[in-house]
Amino acid sequence: MGRPRSYLLTFGLAGILLLLTSCQATLPREDGRLRIVATTSIVADLARQLGGEAVEVTALMGPGIDPHLYRASEGDVTRMQQADLVLYNGLHLEGKMGDVFERMRALGRPSLAIAECVPDSLLLRASGYGGVYDPHVWMDVRRWQYAARCVAETLARMDTARATFYRNRLTAYLAELEATDAYVRRQSATLPPDRRVLITSHDAFRYFGEAYGWEVHGLLGVSTAAEAGTADVQALAEFIVARRVPAIFVESSVPERYLRALQEAVAARGFSVRLAGPLYSDALGDPGTPAGTYTGMIRTNIDTIVEALRSIATP
Amino acid sequence: MSPALEILLVAVLTAAACALPGAFLVLRRMSLVSDAISHAVLPGIVIGFLLTENLQHPLLLVLAGASGLLTVYLIELLEKTGRLREDAAIGLVFPALFSVGVLLIAQLADQVHLDTDAVLLGELAFVPFDRLQWQGIDLGPRALWTMAGLLLMNVLLLWLLYKELTLATFDAAAAAVLGFRPILLHYLLMGLVAVTVVAAFHAVGAILVIALMIGPPATALLLARRMPTYLLLSLLIGALSALPGYGMARVLDVSIAGSMATMVGVLFGLVWLLAPETGLLARWRRHRRQQLDFALDLLLLHLLHHEHQPAATVERHQDTLPAHLNWTSERLNIILAEGQRRGWLQRKGPEVHLTPAGRARATQLVETLAPARSP
Repeated sequence: MGRPRSYLLTFGLAGILLLLTSCQATLPREDGRLRIVATTSIVADLARQLGGEAVEVTALMGPGIDPHLYRASEGDVTRMQQADLVLYNGLHLEGKMGDVFERMRALGRPSLAIAECVPDSLLLRASGYGGVYDPHVWMDVRRWQYAARCVAETLARMDTARATFYRNRLTAYLAELEATDAYVRRQSATLPPDRRVLITSHDAFRYFGEAYGWEVHGLLGVSTAAEAGTADVQALAEFIVARRVPAIFVESSVPERYLRALQEAVAARGFSVRLAGPLYSDALGDPGTPAGTYTGMIRTNIDTIVEALRSIATP
Repeated sequence: MSPALEILLVAVLTAAACALPGAFLVLRRMSLVSDAISHAVLPGIVIGFLLTENLQHPLLLVLAGASGLLTVYLIELLEKTGRLREDAAIGLVFPALFSVGVLLIAQLADQVHLDTDAVLLGELAFVPFDRLQWQGIDLGPRALWTMAGLLLMNVLLLWLLYKELTLATFDAAAAAVLGFRPILLHYLLMGLVAVTVVAAFHAVGAILVIALMIGPPATALLLARRMPTYLLLSLLIGALSALPGYGMARVLDVSIAGSMATMVGVLFGLVWLLAPETGLLARWRRHRRQQLDFALDLLLLHLLHHEHQPAATVERHQDTLPAHLNWTSERLNIILAEGQRRGWLQRKGPEVHLTPAGRARATQLVETLAPARSP
């Protein structure tokens, strides 16, 4: 066994060398800014809006990433290790990662589940199940204001020297959210109530529906393991034909093939429904585009929805 | 300890803990059992959730483990009938169990973010952030303890039952004759696999466990001839793929578990190519050498045969040899050079002559090839 062992030794040494040469010392923070790691791009945007230049925000999940499909990279470990604060949505949006953050908090490393700042009474239950809530709270701008207050409070508490700065930014941002909320209401009101029907690929818009008076239907449930059953597709197709819904909506982070099946089921009933969108649900658009911030995303979504549904359905 | 070191340590422990039962799986042609379990745990998780209505309840993990055990039990049960091969048994059992889970979700829990990823599968990168504490003292990452425990369990059981398991793996019939109850041993081994797989999934995620269970033993099998060497090499190769895997993840800033799994594949590929004796390269070189030996022998015989004939000067001329032996002149030159190097041939101007050593070799060849003619 002399020769194989020498091969193995070579591989091993190569590995160790690689490891040694690539190790870097943790850089000290020289500018006094809080380092924040956020999970989704939506959470990261909230931290940037409230922290401004006083914080340095890194999002673990890039634009267009489905949170269910995120995999941590080596660099994410370092980013989390060096973070002063970890912000995540919570309510199981991040799956098991959320449990890790929860335990980090128990061990004294600051982390905050911002969706859990929304009072329990305002959370929508996943139908029938005890402690499990729908995590997509950002779809209602007013509920998101709770999250904003919570983040600003946390920042002010951690960085007391800049407490006033954070509170001022919060006031300004709450006003912006208020304006956005009013905009969504105005846009929704341009459609008669019976035409406010939103059909998307997965159940991310229940808070939106409840807050702005829309009837919402998701083809898939919240879980990615469940496939759309034939009965679900047929029932939804019947519904679309009966209500003469002109458009159904693709989401940026969910493949559109399920909606194509729905579209075909509708066509088989002699009606035609358009695929519109994309709507941004679990992730923002690319930075620099209108949907690259939270308020921009909400405005883009409602514009897309109203625009597509305004056209009268043609059989 | 730095996070990087902790991750590496956990990865090495996982590699070692998985390689031991994995080595037996590969020999029993049941490598894909670990992959099968990653799907088949779903019904356990769903039932656990329906009972507790809580995604974090420990019962979900317990029932996931029970599903894993049920999976290997059913596979073993089917395989034991002798009417199905191992792969078919695996292929029948896990889709059935997985679909039960999917049906349960669709019927009872489709508003909940409920899948294997969200409940069971861990992530190697988060290992340093999920720590155990006892009375305020930091005891290190939870996964470190899980994997060390699993390794200890596997080493202990395989050490105690090494002889019996090896015999049952290679020759179940002989094991039965000797009174070892091979079926019981198989159930025990598969139970060990199920427990290891589910616990390791929880600690470090699926892909790494699947890769480490199959890759290192498969690589070791290319190198080892004996059982102890095979087990030892499986352990070593598993541990070694963790190091360059981590390095690659750091350089490219990508998933650590993914990089390590990739390295398992790369190591297998390298050994496949470069292994002494069995490697592709070694086999190719041996083949070339045999071709050369054969051609040289042919040339020696040709020269010996014509040595004392009137046409000898023509037959050993370098310009007629290629045509008579059906070689190109480049090939002839290679063979001549090798013959001169071995001291069997010498060139006299354009003619090729046998040396005394070459003549002796050729004569010996004639005797071995045609022993009947020599007396």
